[in-house]
Amino acid sequence: MFDFLIQGFGVALTPLNLGLAFLGALLGTLFGALPGIGPINGIAILMPLAYTLGLPAESALILLAGIYTGSEYGGRMSSILLNVPGDAGAVMTTLDGHPLAKKGLAGPALGLSAVSSFIGASVAILGLTLFAPLLAIVAVKFGPAEFFALMIFAFASMSAMMGKDPLKTLIGAVLGVLISTVGVDSGTGVLRFTFDMPELYDGIDFVVMIIGLFAVSEILLMLEHAFRHDQDGEMAPIGRVMVKMSEVLYCKWAILRSSVIGFVIGVLPGTGASVASAVAYTTEKRISDHDNSFGTGNMRGLAAPEAANNASAAGSFVPMLTLGIPGSGTTAILLGALMLYNINPGPMMFREQPMVVGGLIASLYIGNVMLLLLNLPLAGVFARVLQVPRWLLVPSVAILAFVGVYQLHSDLMAIYLMLAIGVFGYLLRKFGFSLAPVVLGFVLGGLMEENLRRALSISGGDVGILFQSNLSIGLWIAAALVVLVPMFAGKLKAKFLPAAKPS
Amino acid sequence: MKLAADRILSLLLLGLAAFVAVQAWQLEVPFSYDPVGPKAFPLILSGLLAILAIVLFVRPGASGEWPTGALLLRLLFTMAVLGVYAALFINLGFLVTTALVSIIIAWLFGAAPVKAVVGGLLLAVGSYLLFTYGLGISLPTGSWIEPLLGSN
Repeated sequence: MFDFLIQGFGVALTPLNLGLAFLGALLGTLFGALPGIGPINGIAILMPLAYTLGLPAESALILLAGIYTGSEYGGRMSSILLNVPGDAGAVMTTLDGHPLAKKGLAGPALGLSAVSSFIGASVAILGLTLFAPLLAIVAVKFGPAEFFALMIFAFASMSAMMGKDPLKTLIGAVLGVLISTVGVDSGTGVLRFTFDMPELYDGIDFVVMIIGLFAVSEILLMLEHAFRHDQDGEMAPIGRVMVKMSEVLYCKWAILRSSVIGFVIGVLPGTGASVASAVAYTTEKRISDHDNSFGTGNMRGLAAPEAANNASAAGSFVPMLTLGIPGSGTTAILLGALMLYNINPGPMMFREQPMVVGGLIASLYIGNVMLLLLNLPLAGVFARVLQVPRWLLVPSVAILAFVGVYQLHSDLMAIYLMLAIGVFGYLLRKFGFSLAPVVLGFVLGGLMEENLRRALSISGGDVGILFQSNLSIGLWIAAALVVLVPMFAGKLKAKFLPAAKPS
Repeated sequence: MKLAADRILSLLLLGLAAFVAVQAWQLEVPFSYDPVGPKAFPLILSGLLAILAIVLFVRPGASGEWPTGALLLRLLFTMAVLGVYAALFINLGFLVTTALVSIIIAWLFGAAPVKAVVGGLLLAVGSYLLFTYGLGISLPTGSWIEPLLGSN
């Protein structure tokens, strides 16, 4: 049953792939550390590079996955040192991480968070190794109706979990799905929403979409940020980065609990690191904050979100590799990268692409160890990256965005389209949307329509087929539950919590 | 009362939903065995979008901070610079356009002029060397340079 892993290590241990895993870990930590460039930007910018360099699919995926997991490590640095989260998954890390740094404990905070990141990722990678093959076996039974229900479940769990604005999460997802309908309709050959522009016949290109949406809009947001705030906060002195065994032991349950929470939330389709770290933090606060010290520099308050966001990154590979449904915004982009290689993500991938799947999972083990080794002694070096001035960083982002799109298309229209999408992305973010649902909608939209139509052509147009098998009924019920339970749980909690506060 | 940003957004989304519906309705469907066809999915989406937009209109959130005045000008100027970058990217070539754009952006982000010029030039040359020799990507050299090199 674990043949794929042995085979995978064979793939991951070749010199090229080892080097790429290392490069991914290094770049990922850098991208995560730089405020404003998160995993998605990093991957969006490097994906076309990996493709045009002619890397084989498994190597490209190893590089990009390394960037993803690495940036979950890197995001904590600016959270702790500057009180500015390096990416969305590191927001909760600021709450206790920065107070620790202000107490002069920046070094231990960086060390402890690196160790909890490592443990979180390790737990989740083990989980991935155990559960993915099992889920892949179940997934083969999925027909088009089940897939359609599964995608509905993905959007439902995303809108329920994405915290602050479920309505806008849904709207974003619908917009993403709508954008995916541009181009030739594969079923009938009809052109949809192309407005007689031949460039749009193949649909909006994935790379153009992602780079525009994330990198270009980020340039505008950084400009706005620089205009409103003259300077970033003072950087706390780091000192020696070290971990005491006693600190890790003090946090051991916090780390383990949060690792499991992070893994489970990562596996849920649609929800990623930001949700995982928020849930882990609030859970840990409820369980172990006896003296109300969370938020003032409690070690557990730092360890919990860091373990969770790294665990969720590894967990989100489970639905991606077994069902072809991304577990997070970033895996949605990795999925798009696979499609560039004409690999159809889905239940058959485990059987048809054992090199890719096994190689990726094996490289996660290797990359995780590399990341720990990189992040403990070199935290000081990475922290210096935070001082790269914006005026050098932003043109670099622009250059990478342009080169990324140009090398794939050598075409002006694609660059203009990227810029237009960038403005669109900027407006969305100003309106308070998060971009992950849009990307998820964009990536899943095509699959969703295809499966819906395939199901209905099997049944000759009878909608009943969508609710026929136990599996799809279960998925519909699960979709309803994830939306309804938090709504009622909120009300119940408000009623009972003051009386029965868990100690 | 100022119209909340979310209400404006909701009207825009309603407009988009209507536009999608009209466009989808006009699709000419050739004969096919597909009982659903290309119309249904966009129509469902536009209906869903319309409903969500109405909910948003009824329950708008906070408006957030929108750029005005000097900041808005800067943002527009940045987009214009990027647009010009795109327009000249192929004809003028990577090196020249990248240097110019990097200098302008660096200056927009508050770098002193000398720093901006040095930084922009270094970025352009450095990234050119990295991409061409390090990664083997062919970047546009610009159509003006070929006659100078005595193309062969």
